[in-house]
Amino acid sequence: MKRSASNSVTNGDASNKKMKKTTEEDSEIGFANLDENLLYEVLKHVDARTLATSSCVSKIWHRTAQDERLWELICTRHWANIGCSQHQLRFVVLALGGFKQLHSLYLWPLSSPNQHGRLGKDELKLSLSLLSIRYYEKMNFTKRLP
Amino acid sequence: MKRSHQETSVEEVHSMGKKLEDDNNMDEFLSALGYKVRSSDMADVAQKLEQLEVVLSNDDVLGSNALNDTVHYNPSDLSSWAETMLSELNYYPPSLDLDPTRICNLTPFSDDNECSSTTSDNSSKRIRLGPWCDSSESTRPVVMLGVDSQETGVRLVQALVACAEAVHQENLILADALVKRVGPLAASQAGAMGKVATYFAEALARRIYRIRPSSPAVDPSFEEILQMHFYESCPYLKFAHFTANQAILEAVATARGVHVIDLGINQGMQWPALMQALALRPGGSPSFRLTGVGGPSEGDGIQQLGWKLAQLAQAIGVEFEFKGLTVERLTDLEPEMFETRPESETLVVNSVFELHPLLARPGSIEKLLATVKAVKPSVVTVVEQEANHNGVVFLERFNEALHYYSSLFDSLEDGVIIPSQDRVMSEVYLGRQILNVVAAEGTDRIERHETLDQWRKRLGSAGFDPVSLGSDAFKQASLLLALSGGGDGYRVEENDGSLMLAWQTKPLIAASAWKVSDVTAEWRR
Repeated sequence: MKRSASNSVTNGDASNKKMKKTTEEDSEIGFANLDENLLYEVLKHVDARTLATSSCVSKIWHRTAQDERLWELICTRHWANIGCSQHQLRFVVLALGGFKQLHSLYLWPLSSPNQHGRLGKDELKLSLSLLSIRYYEKMNFTKRLP
Repeated sequence: MKRSHQETSVEEVHSMGKKLEDDNNMDEFLSALGYKVRSSDMADVAQKLEQLEVVLSNDDVLGSNALNDTVHYNPSDLSSWAETMLSELNYYPPSLDLDPTRICNLTPFSDDNECSSTTSDNSSKRIRLGPWCDSSESTRPVVMLGVDSQETGVRLVQALVACAEAVHQENLILADALVKRVGPLAASQAGAMGKVATYFAEALARRIYRIRPSSPAVDPSFEEILQMHFYESCPYLKFAHFTANQAILEAVATARGVHVIDLGINQGMQWPALMQALALRPGGSPSFRLTGVGGPSEGDGIQQLGWKLAQLAQAIGVEFEFKGLTVERLTDLEPEMFETRPESETLVVNSVFELHPLLARPGSIEKLLATVKAVKPSVVTVVEQEANHNGVVFLERFNEALHYYSSLFDSLEDGVIIPSQDRVMSEVYLGRQILNVVAAEGTDRIERHETLDQWRKRLGSAGFDPVSLGSDAFKQASLLLALSGGGDGYRVEENDGSLMLAWQTKPLIAASAWKVSDVTAEWRR
């Protein structure tokens, strides 16, 4: 799945570049101006690293790649169900800071040593705990020394 | 004969302002090598030699004749020799900023330190400043005069133990002499060993001079700040919280209402994670009631805490109720104070490092455990330090504590990713514990840690049975340690159903879960 997705991205890349060369005046079609919805559909299939890198391409790409739904897919793709409903998880995680933060702060460091980037039940549970603590700490914690 | 007079007069000039008996404070180890250096001058001499090294390696002095013309008197007096060399080479050191208050503005702690020894001995002054000095000097290498640093580490431990032995035998004169020796030795030792030794030396000095810091000697909100830094800089507290939470979650898996009694609410750091886990429980979240017990000094703070937790609960959709209980001592707690609702709630009692202070007063622990039993909790989670610092024999206590805190400080040292302020504060936090274990006595000595085996006996005789912590708790703990840096040093160990966090195979914290013994089952047997 992943391989074909990245292949289609690179193929699209090559063909769009050609199009860019031939239709420079027409700025409607161009890889950098790829329709946001289409971009979103493509990014649904990429892995975490690619998604993170994508947000550095351009403003439009940045906006799309920051979408919480995409990061929710990344976080929940490989894990065995922790038991609660998707809706429940979404509600809690968004309240505590969002999937993107959950991933970049905790899931990513936990998965790095692991070759396949498998995020199991335990990693997710621990990350959720740490995210909730972080949220709590940031709630006007006046006693903490700056 | 005349020369010796000249030599002593040179020394007297250098020792202006110091007492004559300082002549006896020549460092023993160096005099064995043929050098005469006053113990109190050690760091100063080391610094000068370091500067000398820099100068000699930088300038092309070896070619100059200046050195050849220098006349040295009494080269075994290293202090003046180094001074002479430096002035001959026209080297003037930049002024060093060793202001300890630069580290942090903590006036409460320096008040604590003002009740130090009454003798104005330089080496005891060094003991007082020890913890601060080490932090500012940690990046400067100290020149050891040809003696291996490991060797000095061993010597340091031997000196500390020798001093403790003297204290144990109530030979205070000897102990006094020994502790003055240890001070500068500790200050010149780099790394964790030096810091630990400095704290232990200060504790011994306090014990010898009978300076009793009343507990708590310091503003309790300062204590909380210290604990926060300790929480951030190493996994011990997080391990305690996460493991206890896991046991709680397992016990309330099917409950529709959960009531947790936290015997030491502090900053409430344990509860956000539990609430989050409850919010994500399959089938929906139960209602959550938290009763937080705190001391009189925390006052308003507890209510604020309750508000914060309530806000969090609202954000994640958990029905939440909070009550703060303020008591002077945990033995003041009575079952009625908790207003339990057994028909609709599953009760949990949680204690993280709250049981050992009760051992200072006879009968206290039994009273508390009886109160806990009376509210009929489904599970009681207990986390304590894994060490016996409550032995009757002072020397044994001292040795245990030395070993234990050396490991703890070691683990702080290895975590290179810890911001230095967090680490310094954590060391202060642990240092206060050291002072209490070694210098305090009677009801003041509250850091009466006991091992898990000892707690098992106490809880067993109070009518509690152990509950095994599941493999989920083990996995969570392992992952937490993987995230915490410190390389491979940290280990989770399973001990007959309980979990321990160890540093380099030495267990430091033990977490266990308990339930009230089923009396009727006992009778049936």
